[in-house]
Amino acid sequence: MLIELESVTKIYNQGRANEVKALDRVDLTIRENTMVCLKGASGSGKSTLLSIIGCVFPPTDGRAAIAGKQLSRMPDRFLTIHRRQTIGFIFQQFNILPNLTVLDNITLPLLPLGISPKERRLRAMPLMEKLAITHRENFLAGQISGGELQRVAIARALINNQPIILADEPTAHLDTRLSQQFMATMADLKAGGKTIVIASHDPLITDDSRIDQVIGVKDGRVNVP
Amino acid sequence: MASQIIEKQLNILDYSLSSLWRKKLKNLSVILVFTAVIFLVASFQMITRSLTSAAEDALVYAPEITIQKLSIGRQESIPLKYIDQLSAIFGIRQITPRIWGYYFDENNGANYTVMAMDTTVMPKSSMLSQTLREGNLPGLTENGKVAIGRSVLKAKNLGSRRSLSLFRPDLSLKSFKVSGIFNEETDIMTNDLMVMTMADARDLFAISSDLATDLLVYVSNPAEVATIARKISEAIPGTRVLTRQQIQKTYRMIFGWRSGFASVCLLTALAAFVILAWDKASGLSPEERREIGILKVIGWETTDILAIRFWEGLLISIFAFVIGCTLAYIHVAIFEAVLFRPILVGWSVIFPPFRLPPGIELGDLLLIFSFSVLPYLASTVIPAWRCAIVSADSAIK
Repeated sequence: MLIELESVTKIYNQGRANEVKALDRVDLTIRENTMVCLKGASGSGKSTLLSIIGCVFPPTDGRAAIAGKQLSRMPDRFLTIHRRQTIGFIFQQFNILPNLTVLDNITLPLLPLGISPKERRLRAMPLMEKLAITHRENFLAGQISGGELQRVAIARALINNQPIILADEPTAHLDTRLSQQFMATMADLKAGGKTIVIASHDPLITDDSRIDQVIGVKDGRVNVP
Repeated sequence: MASQIIEKQLNILDYSLSSLWRKKLKNLSVILVFTAVIFLVASFQMITRSLTSAAEDALVYAPEITIQKLSIGRQESIPLKYIDQLSAIFGIRQITPRIWGYYFDENNGANYTVMAMDTTVMPKSSMLSQTLREGNLPGLTENGKVAIGRSVLKAKNLGSRRSLSLFRPDLSLKSFKVSGIFNEETDIMTNDLMVMTMADARDLFAISSDLATDLLVYVSNPAEVATIARKISEAIPGTRVLTRQQIQKTYRMIFGWRSGFASVCLLTALAAFVILAWDKASGLSPEERREIGILKVIGWETTDILAIRFWEGLLISIFAFVIGCTLAYIHVAIFEAVLFRPILVGWSVIFPPFRLPPGIELGDLLLIFSFSVLPYLASTVIPAWRCAIVSADSAIK
């Protein structure tokens, strides 16, 4: 299994007055080269679940193994390195830096790897061609359309050739056409061998036939069909 | 591996530069304020250092002890017969009389300092010739010759002429041939100076041959100065006995209180800047927090993020430091410290202007660096560190 969670609990602000239990003894396994949707209402815990799968933070309790590595008690530095090698993120609002060019945004994850500007561009070009944004290479991200921004975010998630792509409410700010375009791109990526986990409550995604598995998340617990 | 580490640092530096450029208006305003503060502090330090070191340099030639005669608390001419009285004191190597006073030039509204003494007895007297731009000091018996400072040359409008006339108290004229001109490095001490023979000085000021302005005492063993000074005081009551150390202390006090007063004002400005910088940097904007969060999530380590802030802070502060110090040097060396001159050298308008040799020591630069660059670096790196150590998701929410 590529992603294995066993009795995972996540408590924010543990021991304080504002303590919140976001995940409660979650068991979950996701196979390689599948497209999974985490479905749930706002505040259900699906973003927290995505963050643990994405190695953003370790669980408070339980066992989480992502791409063969145990996250529990892993120091922040190693979590970062593992995340860099394994996970590509697509955020709800894309989180693209508007004052950087499209190329700079896409290649941002490669900077701390000590890759030269020339090599970074060489890696980005095929992705930009595939996602049809080559003509926007030197545009500032703040100057391009929402659909193009989405494709920049996807390219950035793929630039380091990570095996897992995580997307948090990726269609929340997109119209139907762009949402369908997004799903088509994800299906292509899956066909290319990637494992995709999407957190969403958008029916366009949850009801898409290309989704292999829909996992319900409610009140910090999961319902695996 | 090494090349990868270097490439990584180059990438981070490149990102820092582009980040500075993206926030150019904000950073430019910080650089302007930072440069202004460094300029003020460095200028002040340079002029204080120049004045202090020039004064201390001058004391190299000073006698160990100077004796002045006092009458109702004021200085008056000292009888030369005291020399015989004092020569019995053990440890005195030589006593030489000196005449010095001020000559007021009505045409120019300037006071010149006139001095006459046997310069051959001064410590390091052979080096005195180095203080001259041209010519020589008048010899002991070379009456009618005078060495002058640059300001005298200019005020008397001598041009290529090498002779001048001065009025005696009875308004008769006394002519001199200029035997030497002091160089600009010694301006602070020699700019308004006229050095002549004792006989010429007596003639010019109408001083009788048994009097002088003061007596200069050179001792054999510098460790005995205090004892000898005490013995002189006891031997000739009614005199003021000044040791070189006391004069040095007076100079330090004069520059010390002035520079101390202004330093307090400038350090307040520096402190205000550091507080402002801290306030600016500690309150990271939502955009900056979001950027840090994005970088973390996409795989940047906390140290990488700190490196960006470090480079940003270092580039801004070093740039401001270098420009500030350079402008300060220009201010002191070329514009003669026009902003601080009145505070540090007094408010007189009669004294002819003089040129300040700019002086700065590595220690001064390090002090300014420590009180400006380091706090600014801390004020940029620490808030970024506080933001970067929280989990990445909270930074982007």
